[in-house]
Amino acid sequence: MKSKLVLLSIVFSLIFTNSIFADQKQLVGADADYGEHLFGECVTCHNSTGLGQGIPKITGMKTNQFITKILAYKSKEKENAVMQMVAERLGEEEINSLALYLSKLK
Amino acid sequence: MTKIKRRTFVGLAAATTTALSMPSIAFGALPRVVVIGGGAGGATAAKYIAKDSKGAIDVTLVEASKRYYTCFFSNLYLGDFRAYGSIGHNYYGLAVNHGVNMVHEWALSVNNAAKKVNLGSGESISYDKLVISPGIDLKFESVNGYSAEAQSKMPHAWKSGTQVQLLKNQVKGMKKGGTFVMVPPPNPYRCPPGPYERVSMIAHQFKKSNPTAKIVILDPKNKFSKQGLFMEGWQKHYPGMIEWISAETHGGIKKINAATMEFETDLDTFKADAASVVPAQRAGRIAMNAGVNKGDWCPIVPASMQAQADENIYVLGDASIAKSMPKSGFSANSQAKVAANHIRGSLTGSKVFTPRFANTCWSLVATNDGIKVGANYKATAEKIDKTSGFISKTGEDSNLRKATYEESIGWYSGITSDMFS
Repeated sequence: MKSKLVLLSIVFSLIFTNSIFADQKQLVGADADYGEHLFGECVTCHNSTGLGQGIPKITGMKTNQFITKILAYKSKEKENAVMQMVAERLGEEEINSLALYLSKLK
Repeated sequence: MTKIKRRTFVGLAAATTTALSMPSIAFGALPRVVVIGGGAGGATAAKYIAKDSKGAIDVTLVEASKRYYTCFFSNLYLGDFRAYGSIGHNYYGLAVNHGVNMVHEWALSVNNAAKKVNLGSGESISYDKLVISPGIDLKFESVNGYSAEAQSKMPHAWKSGTQVQLLKNQVKGMKKGGTFVMVPPPNPYRCPPGPYERVSMIAHQFKKSNPTAKIVILDPKNKFSKQGLFMEGWQKHYPGMIEWISAETHGGIKKINAATMEFETDLDTFKADAASVVPAQRAGRIAMNAGVNKGDWCPIVPASMQAQADENIYVLGDASIAKSMPKSGFSANSQAKVAANHIRGSLTGSKVFTPRFANTCWSLVATNDGIKVGANYKATAEKIDKTSGFISKTGEDSNLRKATYEESIGWYSGITSDMFS
């Protein structure tokens, strides 16, 4: 029940985010420092210099695109065992914090 | 001249303010972290402490080698999927990009009371927090007849580097139709799927240039990591070439003889034309010297990776008892980020986040046939507990296996960039 609520609130946040062209202020619970910390988990696989060989580049990804993809892995709609596992334990705060941090990366 | 003086004054004022804000640190000095070992745990910890503290912590990395060859992907070099040079890395990025002070020496001993690391040169370095990430030492005596001398005839090749080159030389030079004997280590050990990926890569070599060769695995265990996946792959790609003999079948390896290349078991005496023996393992020597071990490995506090025996020391990677995490480069990298965040918090007052651990291990069975196993973990009071996980399935589509192999290449590029640049 709780996880459904979290998912629902993420979906709402996504819709809202889309409608206002990813205004960072609307990323509920987002904290760029937390996003930077969480990003450490991403760069074990996603090359931080962004070469994107074998594993896609995520630096420079648009906020909407990032959130949509993570939610698709979370719902297991999008295939990839590693990413489904990564997305599984990301809640709204984590996803929005990562989105905020990613949007600040050049 | 006047301008220079003003800049100097501003700089000094800033430094003094920073120093005053540091608790329990000598006036004018930055808090100092020393990291021993420049592998997946140590290099990552040094980088993240330096990067995230933005100059507020003085970080020194003590690593004897100026060029580091990763253990992970050394099997791919054995199988000719990687050039040797591609698994070697230097530490320029840590120094240039993050200001890490590199000391290319051996750490000989730790003085816990004085908080000093004594180096091979006779010098010593003080620390406020010490990270020990020394990897493994080999217990040669765990296999009767094996020794540091015997490793020239039966390379363990379990610390990458020239041992892997020697093993490759012996595999390629083995007589046609000969027998290769592989002795994997008992649990727990570095890289659980590693011995079986090694067998796959050697079989791949034999299939190309020595197709009547045989591989015998004399295992001290009765089961192994990704067993169903490896067994299926061996049957598919190398039918009739590989024989895995479990401990309960051979009854234990009684003695090996490097001069005659014989392996004596209850079942039979096996004669090898080439071999690899990977003995039991323990935490690197410096961890024992620092007194943070309990037996062969080092107990840690799951939420921070601090040694249970000394709160100013953190133990990362293979040397730690981080169960349920396996001893892998990915695990060490994940643990390093938890420790770095905790160290920075304790020295500068920065926010300490809830620890998050993860691991994935990819293995290559044959060309474009990659498999993987992974898990998420969280810290409890007792251990680093697995919360969810996955493993490749037998009978998977060849396109998925190819994508898994390609993903492993991406991961190698990612983690080595994360460690060294």
